[in-house]
Amino acid sequence: MKHGETVLYSIQTKDLTKSFKKKKHRGIFGFLKQKPKREKADEEKPFTVALDHINVKIRSGELFGLLGPNGAGKTTFVKCLSTILIPDKGTATINGFDILEQTQMVRASLGLVVGGERTLYWKLTAKDNLMYFASLYKMPRNAAKARVEELLSLMGLSDRADERLEDYSTGMRQKIAIARALLHNPPILLLDEPTLGLDPTFSRQIRNQIKTLCHNEGKTVLLATHYMKEADDLCDRVAIINDGKIVAVDPPSQLKAIVRETEVLEVACHNPPPDVESYLKGICRDAEIVTLIRGEEPKGTPFRIKIIGGTAEENVELAIDALRRKNVQIIGVNVSMPTLEDAFIKLTGAKLTEETG
Amino acid sequence: MNLSLSKDLTANSLIVWSELVKNMKFLTAYPVVFIFWTIFPIFWFIPFLLQGQAFVGGLQSPEFAKLAGTPNYVAFVILGGILNSYVLTSLYGVGESMRREAYQGTLDYLLSSPCNKAFILIGKALSESISSTFYALTQLVVCVLFFGIEITLGVVMPVLLVIILLILGLYGIALMLAAISLQSKQAHDLAHTLENVFYVLSPVRYPVQSLPSWAQMISSLLPLTYALIAVRSLMLLRYDITAVYYEILLLLIIDMLLIFLGFYLFNWMERRTKKSGSISHY
Repeated sequence: MKHGETVLYSIQTKDLTKSFKKKKHRGIFGFLKQKPKREKADEEKPFTVALDHINVKIRSGELFGLLGPNGAGKTTFVKCLSTILIPDKGTATINGFDILEQTQMVRASLGLVVGGERTLYWKLTAKDNLMYFASLYKMPRNAAKARVEELLSLMGLSDRADERLEDYSTGMRQKIAIARALLHNPPILLLDEPTLGLDPTFSRQIRNQIKTLCHNEGKTVLLATHYMKEADDLCDRVAIINDGKIVAVDPPSQLKAIVRETEVLEVACHNPPPDVESYLKGICRDAEIVTLIRGEEPKGTPFRIKIIGGTAEENVELAIDALRRKNVQIIGVNVSMPTLEDAFIKLTGAKLTEETG
Repeated sequence: MNLSLSKDLTANSLIVWSELVKNMKFLTAYPVVFIFWTIFPIFWFIPFLLQGQAFVGGLQSPEFAKLAGTPNYVAFVILGGILNSYVLTSLYGVGESMRREAYQGTLDYLLSSPCNKAFILIGKALSESISSTFYALTQLVVCVLFFGIEITLGVVMPVLLVIILLILGLYGIALMLAAISLQSKQAHDLAHTLENVFYVLSPVRYPVQSLPSWAQMISSLLPLTYALIAVRSLMLLRYDITAVYYEILLLLIIDMLLIFLGFYLFNWMERRTKKSGSISHY
């Protein structure tokens, strides 16, 4: 691949595989301690497979979502593509350049947002941060100055450009992290949880910016997220990743079609018993999946029990009676059309954490 | 000159400059550093003065001159301390710098940028040297004013040359330390160990002849040993630069070896930790 050639697929991976050696943190005198059972089991399987033969093709100008729970392999995937990690097997091309052979060209083609707000220098001003990173991308000083001002204006932070980042809010720092990714105007953006920990206003602003970057500026965006709604609202296609494996790649509408014929009964409640999933599955008729999505009790966010499959009309009464017998405090019941979350649950059997974004 | 080569040179100089400016801004972001810079260089002399007073009854000792060539014990030790401060800043400043980037969460961004990481490290090293030099200059002024060290124009250039050569060798060691810290996640204790090796085995506070023969052999591998011998010969014994050619030549050879080993180890360790996945662990 030569510089300047256009490519059909901005990102293409071939059997990308990465595993990590499990570390034993036993300290200097660890040999004196008796090994716990779990550790003995770990020794039999000394590697964690973070990416297992990943094959994806992301078209130029596409907004591609990578959806999965924490620990599914999203960040490892992003780090392999951005040459921070070297895969064990397989390879990938970014903008037509091989991540193992043409690392400098790969790096120049990418804008990266990974790790959140702590990846900037808090003791420096926003302008100083951006000017510093511009120099790492070999941008001439005058061009860098103009670009920094343009990006600060785009992020609505021009008037605070000379303030240190330690005086910024989390959302403002995240905007600077995104501005950093755009400094050298790369054709491809790798965004790993860009709205993690942000309040709804900043999340919305950042999501709108991602949309604009992709649809108006033609950038290819890989958005790794665990927020269902974010993936559903923004992405042209979504890959569902779980335990290092891609289990489905489709537009959100098609993923939802996997559970289209089913109704979803959702019960919001407090204090469900730990075995509520198996308990309700035995009671509700034809329920394919019963899953508990944890709430945040200190904040008062209720737990949600999702019953996918069967007839919701029949299962409403059965579920409510059963939960009352267990003294569960029911807050509300809702019958809905399947969402991307339901498709995710059906495909992986796993569940994401409660959305706050 | 080829246009792309000139562009590359400009871009790489800018990386070094940006890194230097960044580090200087960090340094000056904490006002307490100015107290350290203004007060400590003066306080620093007091133990040497008292020690000199206790052991030799003042600044001069004929007994000491038999070993060191100069009776001025205090000036001898002070020059040792000044040069040793470059060891400290190199080991702690440059050696630990990559760990600090990892703690700050910025290491991933340095690694995923298309620039040559060597220029980032050069920028870090330069900023450490500049702050050390400010510190050393303050000490030198005190030396000239109070401890009979004379600085003539003829001695400035050879001393500067020796200090630059010392710093280059120390960068090589600091690079190795930075490389090891990528894997071990902890550079401080290793830096502390090396600091003590330099302090004990180089002639910082006593002439190299005071060491047992096996220790003198190790001492002869350390760049600080040759730098100290050369600087003292130039400043205290008033030798001409031709008298220290041997030390300068050896420093040059050791520097080349250490810098080559430093970059080699850093690149090797970067690749190794990228493979193992431990590169961005904290």
